[in-house]
Amino acid sequence: MAAQSRVQIVEGNLDSYLASALPATGVLSAAAPLRRGTSLTARRAIRLFEDQALSRALDVTARELKKTQRSYYTISSAGHEQNAILGALLRVTDPCFLHYRAGAWMMARSRQHPGATPTFDTLLSMCASSDDPIAQGRHKVWGSRALWVPPQTSTIASHLPKAVGMAFALERARRAGVRSPLPEHSVVACSFGDASVNHATALSGINAARYAHRRGSAMPIVFVCEDNGIGISVDTPRRWITEAFSQLSHLKYFLAAGDVDEIWDTAARAIDHCRAARAPVFLHLKCVRLWGHAGSDVETTYHSLRHIQEVEAQDPLLKNARRLVEQGAALPATLREILRTTRERVRAAAEEAASRPKLTTRAEVMAPIAPEAQERWRQSAEGRPPDETRERIFGDALPEKATAPSKRTLAAHINSALKDEMGRRPRLLVFGEDVGLKGGVYHVTAGLQHTFGQARVFDTLLDETTILGVAQGAAQAGMLPVPEIQYLAYVHNAIDQLRGEAASLSFFSGGQFQNPMVVRIAAFAYQKGFGGHFHNDNSIGALRDIPGLVLATPSRGDDAAKMLRGALAMARESGRVVCFLEPIALYHEKDLHDDDDEGWLFDYPPPGESLLPGELGVYHADATDLLIVSYANGLRLSLRAARHLERDHGIRARVLDLRWLKPLPHDVVREHAVACGKVLVADECRATGGGVADAIVARLVEGGYAGAMATVRSADSFVPLGPSTAAILLQEEEIVQAARELCA
Amino acid sequence: MRAALFCPGRGSYTKKSLRSLPADHPWVQSAEALRAEYGLTALLELDGAKKFHPPTHLKPSNISPLIYLCTMLDAKTAADEHEIVAVGGNSLGWYTALAVGGALGFEDGFRLVQTMSLLQEEFSAGGQILYPMTDEHWRPSAKLVAGINEAMAEAAGEAFPSINLGGYAVLAGTEAGIETLLEKLPAEERGPTIYPIRLAQHGPYHTPLLQPVAERARKELAKLEFRCPATALIDGMGRIHGPASADPAALRDYTLGEQIYTPYGFTESVRVALREFAPARLVLPGPGNSLGGICGQILALEGWRGIKDRDTFDAVQDGDDPIVISMRRF
Repeated sequence: MAAQSRVQIVEGNLDSYLASALPATGVLSAAAPLRRGTSLTARRAIRLFEDQALSRALDVTARELKKTQRSYYTISSAGHEQNAILGALLRVTDPCFLHYRAGAWMMARSRQHPGATPTFDTLLSMCASSDDPIAQGRHKVWGSRALWVPPQTSTIASHLPKAVGMAFALERARRAGVRSPLPEHSVVACSFGDASVNHATALSGINAARYAHRRGSAMPIVFVCEDNGIGISVDTPRRWITEAFSQLSHLKYFLAAGDVDEIWDTAARAIDHCRAARAPVFLHLKCVRLWGHAGSDVETTYHSLRHIQEVEAQDPLLKNARRLVEQGAALPATLREILRTTRERVRAAAEEAASRPKLTTRAEVMAPIAPEAQERWRQSAEGRPPDETRERIFGDALPEKATAPSKRTLAAHINSALKDEMGRRPRLLVFGEDVGLKGGVYHVTAGLQHTFGQARVFDTLLDETTILGVAQGAAQAGMLPVPEIQYLAYVHNAIDQLRGEAASLSFFSGGQFQNPMVVRIAAFAYQKGFGGHFHNDNSIGALRDIPGLVLATPSRGDDAAKMLRGALAMARESGRVVCFLEPIALYHEKDLHDDDDEGWLFDYPPPGESLLPGELGVYHADATDLLIVSYANGLRLSLRAARHLERDHGIRARVLDLRWLKPLPHDVVREHAVACGKVLVADECRATGGGVADAIVARLVEGGYAGAMATVRSADSFVPLGPSTAAILLQEEEIVQAARELCA
Repeated sequence: MRAALFCPGRGSYTKKSLRSLPADHPWVQSAEALRAEYGLTALLELDGAKKFHPPTHLKPSNISPLIYLCTMLDAKTAADEHEIVAVGGNSLGWYTALAVGGALGFEDGFRLVQTMSLLQEEFSAGGQILYPMTDEHWRPSAKLVAGINEAMAEAAGEAFPSINLGGYAVLAGTEAGIETLLEKLPAEERGPTIYPIRLAQHGPYHTPLLQPVAERARKELAKLEFRCPATALIDGMGRIHGPASADPAALRDYTLGEQIYTPYGFTESVRVALREFAPARLVLPGPGNSLGGICGQILALEGWRGIKDRDTFDAVQDGDDPIVISMRRF
């Protein structure tokens, strides 16, 4: 006879107990408490056992299906099933951001939604079928629109900041005077493990919740740390979670351990406290992990058999079965029947689920990543606030009438465009470091807080992970966030919040969940007087390869206003995540060629004018000697270079401003390239993939363009302090030189 | 073989159903005793009539208990032949399901059916109509649904969704509402039938218009003894009431409340049965085969076992392993 697997042994332990257990002498009525003083009734305890048995059967079946390559996910919830208590106690309108061992939680929560089919849904997800109602075959996630469970993979606890963001936004939406899709007393829950809580992102989320509460903000969030004592193969130090989280200020700690009724009562207290106090709670839920980290993990390579058996003896299903029987809440035969029927129906449903279709084409897989709706975007972008609103915002100083140089800069126009958009989009929030009273390091948000109030324009703590987490949570709660990241270098500190979370939400939910946002980022180099890499970062490579993300970078003020309107429309109408890169060095630039020529000042385009992806800027459209392709600071340098080329060398260059760096407008670039016959890409970003030069050239070649080409780029270096920056950044002279060589 | 059982609603007993009842069966005798208590015509007399007399037979207080009784008898047979893993029903069929599943005793089930049918006669103003939402191949039709939405908008306040019935929408309302629907819904031919059709002697069931019925029902049926079912029940919201943990009070509240005046989701209940229990069979006890095609349509909507439309359903039914088992086709 083949040796039994650990799965069979754990199942067998439960079955053996129930086969030999004797009924209690007294019988509890269904409505009676499981023990004196608990709020857990016999009936609810049995329901929990049903949900836990269902979760367990799904885990067992996933492993069975895996043997025949019909399922693709074996990270199980086995040992964590006491989290069903959270599923039962939290309301279906309390959003839950769940980690991957949340099977029983989901089963219990599904009871609150009539018509829910968690068994089949989970099996479809495990089988990666396109019929899976949430990720539609793209990933195994826990998620449901009806149950308010936004999906994510959760493997590195990177979902905590957005959970915090949503808890923050629950109250903020009301203060901003907009209707929230969630009831007033909702709380947010998010779960994670004792190992993943050590991630910087997780700690960032917890810190942000405490900070916000300390600042007086409502922060109704329940952090549920499911502590199974191990992260893959490495034990968590004994009592680590208690030591790390039980003594923190602005975070009420609850330890949920013991029998099911004790855990129930503790969890109920924790949730009640959070709901009443609108304050963050840390619920430390003791769990065990059965059957290793995943199906492929052989636990005997790092744990002794004795240790494994000791853990298995703490199987929550076994403990709960014993508790139910001993308290007289259920007969052993009743629990046996629950297990038998549950296993049977899961096995039967698995056969159907495994037969369901998969995504087969690239287009099918990618469908939710970057939804397009040009007409709606245009319509939305070209809306304008009512005149009386504009009068309230601007008084009699309408920005389009401004003549003072300081009112016609890039910074001034972004500021005015934000005001116009805030005036007509009540869900728009502006937040970040120093954006409030100070009005931003570069004064781009000056006056916004004064005009629109602290509820809509506010300073955050100095943590980009939190800023982007708040953006995601607020967006999922129905707001239209415009967070500011103070410098491009800082986005790299938190980029997974865009890469792994914000941009992936639509993918993991088949477009059912979206987190629309426009992330304003002060970007690029060339600042006069404020040097060094961290304020002059010039690499956008990490942003460019995020699927679905839109990258916009205006070079001049009027473009910026129109592009911001387009970006907000894309976010609002299609849930797109847009990064709006604002060239710091051009914020207050006035001149183009000569001192005081005011060639870089522009009139503010009144509301109603907009720019969308693919709409490029073309300068010297009649020129055909050469095409210079550029963006941001590079555009201004290229225009200067073009003047030199014409004046000193008789070369007339057409200059193209890409404006949108993702998606790149390759077709338009090719048309201009063909018309000119020679192409120079002037890319201010780092040479090695930091910018767009490689992509432009490669696609021109692939697209059949056969003319001459060259690129000039900044060096593959960090940006130094002081005058040395000129040594590594793209310079006007290089553009001129390269252009001459091309045209020689 | 694992099976889910779905009990039929009011349209199931027809002239072909006459002479269904075994006179000597204890349930028939028990039912006759209760009929006598209510002072109503004996069921055996109705069932044994030489001719089907629509005004008499289709009267709610007559047809409902006839269907209940036939269905109960069939369900007992079905339980001998299958492992029944879940029980549901359509409209009146929910009352039968409660008794089949063991949440009500036979007599209480009868009382529920009989009393509700009498109340329906008392509050009979209005009606129900049937209209397709799928094409002749059972594929969802956006055009038909749009037509329904338009007509419903015209009849706003007077007409309501009543039952989500596979490929059909059952709509109900006041007389004025029904008139509007009949006028506004584009005629749709399906074989010899032209939709919309009005269901004879049906009231505006499962709509807010029946709130007073619910109030009366709660009073008149206060003594019904709801119990934990022996088999999982799936109600018209798609909720599962499991044998180990169902709440009899919740079953009562739903049956004598929500179920009466909110739309009944037969489609939802079959969907939940399929997805959560994955039965090998859908067994349809009781007279007629009114739910046979409906279940086929739901299987097609669900894509269950590869069924996509009427043809693929027929192919499965004609094969060695049919899904839908109609116990009587008459």
